[in-house]
Amino acid sequence: MSVIIAFSMDEALRALAAHPDALILSGGTDLLVEINEGHRRLGSSSADIATSPTVLAVDRLSELRSWTIDLERSQVHIGAGVTWSELVSEPLAGLIPALAEASRTVGSPQIRNAGTLGGNLGTCSPAGDGLPVLAALEAVVHLRSATHQRDLPVAEFMVGVKRTARLPGELITGVTLPIINGWQGYSKVGVRNAMVIATASTALVADRTKRQIRVALGSVGPTVLRCSEAETMLSAAVDWENGGVGSDQLREFGGLVAAASRPIDDHRSSAAYRRHSVGVMAQRLARRAFPLESGPPGQGKSSGI
Amino acid sequence: MAGSILGNRVLRKEDPKFLTSGGVYLDDLEDERLTGAVYVAYVRSQVAHGVISSIDLSEAVEMPGVIGVFTAASLNLAEVPSAFNPAVTRTYLATDKVRYVGEPVAAVVAETYEQAVDAAAMVYADIDALPALVDIEEAMASDNLLYEAAGSNVVFDTTALGLPENTGGEFFADCEVVVEGRFINQRVAPCPLESRAAAAAWVDGRLIQWLSTQHAQGALATIIAANGLEASQVRIITPDVGGGFGAKIGTYPEEILLGRLAKEVGRPVRFRETRSESMMALGHGRAQVQYVTIGGRRDGKVTHYRMQVYQDAGAFVDMGSILAPFMTRPMASAVYDIPNIEVRTTSVVTNTTPTVAYRGAGRPEATAAAERAMDMFAAEIGMDAAEVRRVNLIPKFLEPHTTAVGQTYDVGNYEVAMDKAMQAAGYAELRVEQAARRASGNPVQIGIGVSVYVEITGGVQPMGEAAKIEVHEDGSASIYTGTSPHGQGHDTSWSMIASEQTGIPMDRITLVWGDTDLVPVGGGTMGSRSLQQGGAAVNKAAIELVEQARSLAATLLEADEADIVLDTDSGNFHVAGTPAVSTTWADLAVAATTNADFPDGLTHETRFEASGATFPFGAHVAVVEVDTETGKVRHIRHVACDDAGRVLNPLLLEGQIHGGVAQGTAQALLEEVRYDSDGNPVTSNLADYAMISAAELPSFEVVHMETPTPINPLGAKGIGESGTIGSTPAVQSAVVDALAHLGVRHVDMPTTPEKVWKAIAAASN
Ligand SMILES: Cc1cc2nc3c(=O)[nH]c(=O)nc-3n(C[C@H](O)[C@H](O)[C@H](O)COP(=O)(O)OP(=O)(O)OC[C@H]3O[C@@H](n4cnc5c(N)ncnc54)[C@H](O)[C@@H]3O)c2cc1C
Repeated sequence: MSVIIAFSMDEALRALAAHPDALILSGGTDLLVEINEGHRRLGSSSADIATSPTVLAVDRLSELRSWTIDLERSQVHIGAGVTWSELVSEPLAGLIPALAEASRTVGSPQIRNAGTLGGNLGTCSPAGDGLPVLAALEAVVHLRSATHQRDLPVAEFMVGVKRTARLPGELITGVTLPIINGWQGYSKVGVRNAMVIATASTALVADRTKRQIRVALGSVGPTVLRCSEAETMLSAAVDWENGGVGSDQLREFGGLVAAASRPIDDHRSSAAYRRHSVGVMAQRLARRAFPLESGPPGQGKSSGI
Repeated sequence: MAGSILGNRVLRKEDPKFLTSGGVYLDDLEDERLTGAVYVAYVRSQVAHGVISSIDLSEAVEMPGVIGVFTAASLNLAEVPSAFNPAVTRTYLATDKVRYVGEPVAAVVAETYEQAVDAAAMVYADIDALPALVDIEEAMASDNLLYEAAGSNVVFDTTALGLPENTGGEFFADCEVVVEGRFINQRVAPCPLESRAAAAAWVDGRLIQWLSTQHAQGALATIIAANGLEASQVRIITPDVGGGFGAKIGTYPEEILLGRLAKEVGRPVRFRETRSESMMALGHGRAQVQYVTIGGRRDGKVTHYRMQVYQDAGAFVDMGSILAPFMTRPMASAVYDIPNIEVRTTSVVTNTTPTVAYRGAGRPEATAAAERAMDMFAAEIGMDAAEVRRVNLIPKFLEPHTTAVGQTYDVGNYEVAMDKAMQAAGYAELRVEQAARRASGNPVQIGIGVSVYVEITGGVQPMGEAAKIEVHEDGSASIYTGTSPHGQGHDTSWSMIASEQTGIPMDRITLVWGDTDLVPVGGGTMGSRSLQQGGAAVNKAAIELVEQARSLAATLLEADEADIVLDTDSGNFHVAGTPAVSTTWADLAVAATTNADFPDGLTHETRFEASGATFPFGAHVAVVEVDTETGKVRHIRHVACDDAGRVLNPLLLEGQIHGGVAQGTAQALLEEVRYDSDGNPVTSNLADYAMISAAELPSFEVVHMETPTPINPLGAKGIGESGTIGSTPAVQSAVVDALAHLGVRHVDMPTTPEKVWKAIAAASN
């Protein structure tokens, strides 16, 4: 096994051009687990070097480890090497609260200090906590190789269970996220309150400017799922002016979200419970976004809270 | 005179070391006898049940750093019978058959740990799979036998002990109300923070074996036999141990084989397991299916109780197989005065990790069954669950009391424990709050669970312990104990006891334990026995030592022995009324070296024999919030009133209660070892096995109660397991209680969100 430690973007991209199938190492909180569990073999003797993959460490690249805020265009660029710990801190937490909420649920302090958003994307597990938020915010993923650069909507980047649209030789450099006028949040179900892999998760964004509700689900399909029918239904049903929605509408919304899920039975949960729980989480997130009890739009009735 | 140190919140002496420089755990141990040690990694079966046709070592032996690869055949391993069922035999590395995923099949010895692990992955065992038996009841009925020679998968049954079979339906003929339940007391993993590690070295023909164990002296016989040695040729040393919870009482094949492997390769060897290995190969606990029937009158009086327990022994007949008959059965009557009881227990082998003792070991299972049954009886007759308990509790007794199942308890005052816990919890107010929450239609409901328990501690042979105290010429002292601390704080407690009697300051007392050359005989630490037997032995040794020292002081001070007093504040002996004429422990230790009456210096060894077990009891109140839409349970309050007799150090007592409540709650809410239908473990890491953390627990409310036992002069009963025993049923009951208005009567443990959600759905249909 050989390890290349890149100190600049140039070095990293050149190394990737030379070794397009190099294992890219960021925080290592997924990659090293896979190696230790034997899902990826690195070879243990010098004789194996020829056949074993090269590891390219990118955790020292300042371009990946930094983020920028563009207030003019109301967007944030987050480098692939930004850690969960940074995402839960201000000012990022205030600008993208759903991502902060998701980041807070990731692993333990140690994992949050090492693990990165780029690594979460690179792994592309259906349970990755950052991914539903990126999907609901319609983030754009930036990829770069020695020869080209391209941007992909996150929905196109995530292809399947641990499968992405990243090509050999490409590096994920970061994501761009809109700063939303409106409420956003994340909710997760798992076996305990900390250090837990999502059994099911839901991100909801209420974009007041576009008058659009967007919902994305984790752990209930091969990759993160959007719920277009539910989104359309609720976008039309809520009172955008006063921040209200009727309980009947919420229930209908929850039902549509549940119906959009495509969960499986596994050792963590039954499909039925996963489907049920995303429906409940979606309703609760929507209620947090629209706290007032109100009838269908136009009637403007409030619950009198 | 300063007051007694006993009963005070004395800070743990061992903590500065553990919190700063760190304890020396086995794999960190640096010892010159281990110079040049090589590493052992075990090849483990990936098949739950199968016949081994061949084991291919050819690639492994070529791997870098490999010194040797060994199988049962190459080591010529003998069949070793189970201590509890001689028809069940195994070799320490599997020979003909494998019986669970994780069973050691071969051993690789290499220069480094990593090389050993890599080479182990290159050993290929060709195994013809047999159907795996994972379910206890299925295994019982199956003629697919794990051990042909045993003739059955049932390997231990109370009827074989001459105890009666359970009778038929007529047993409950006189009852107005009869309620039945099938309760799962699920399999859990002990998860000590320090997983297993061991080492072995041959020094001048003797085997030195290091073990991370709860009982070095108990491991001796096995290690001696496995190596074909004389008793004098083995020494076992226990470094600091990072938790055991019962799973480190016994000795495992991976440890037992190290002496043989060290001999084969002519080098010292070391072994450590990963967490995943530990989850598969360190013994598991609990694992019972209980069929319980309870009957009585509509006024709340329970008159009849029956239990049939199926105990999962796992793939060997280890300690887990005898807990049901010898621990669960005797405690079946729990804290209740039930005139008619019948219990049968049946232990069954399955293709799963062997079960062993785990914190509580058979008593939590008895308590959980009784408490669930009481709750269901109460629900059936429409009475408050606490009220039903009150009707049936054994009244206060300070003379031995024998239950219908034949177990005698020492002392008990159950109703007061229940009252104290309920009062501290504000039971009546909680019920009001619960009613209001129900009326509000809030999806998050409140549940309140009460459990009352009694358990048995120090109840296993040897019911006694030795202690030796040696006073050194500088006035410091060493205590030699046969108990084996692995988190409990014996250094603190034993020093407190010895200091109280001798006046030697605690920080001048050193504890020696777990080394069989220095402490050849000892009962180890298990079954909450340490203070009541080991501590009592230290107390006795200290008292007797003072007597001897007094006669020596009389000689030194040229006074009459009867006039010599020990001032325990200063630690000086002086002539009564003349403090100026005094001598110190140091003086005495020096004098003893030249005194023919003290051939070993100023040292004294003694043994304390307990006349029986003790029966700690208590009551717990748990309050939970249950989200009826997601099924999620939040444990919001826990009140524990545990009566462990006279308290030596409340700080240590509370530590035991806190840890116990956490582990007991874990069983109620979160933890479960599970296998798929092929016998593959699906919870062999701590992401999938939901070991509890502080984030799932409330701050515990501990209520004190002391009913001293007459069984030992300290008045102490065990506290190590009480928290685990009292909390599980209280928390489980609270979950069910939160759903009672929805028609739910029972939710099996662990009460995961999914199970709760399904129980609500089932009740509404
Ligand atoms: C104990 C523990 C708990 C965890 N808990 C959670 C949790 O609660 N929620 C959750 O979502 N995840 C969890 N994880 C998984 C993991 O921490 C996250 O997925 C994390 O975001 C991965 O980031 P990393 O930087 O460590 O990635 P790495 O392990 O370094 O890489 C992950 C993958 O992405 C690729 N990659 C990394 N960076 C790039 C890049 N710049 N360009 C291209 N490919 C790249 C790597 O090659 C690899 O395939 C947990 C992991 C552990 C060990």
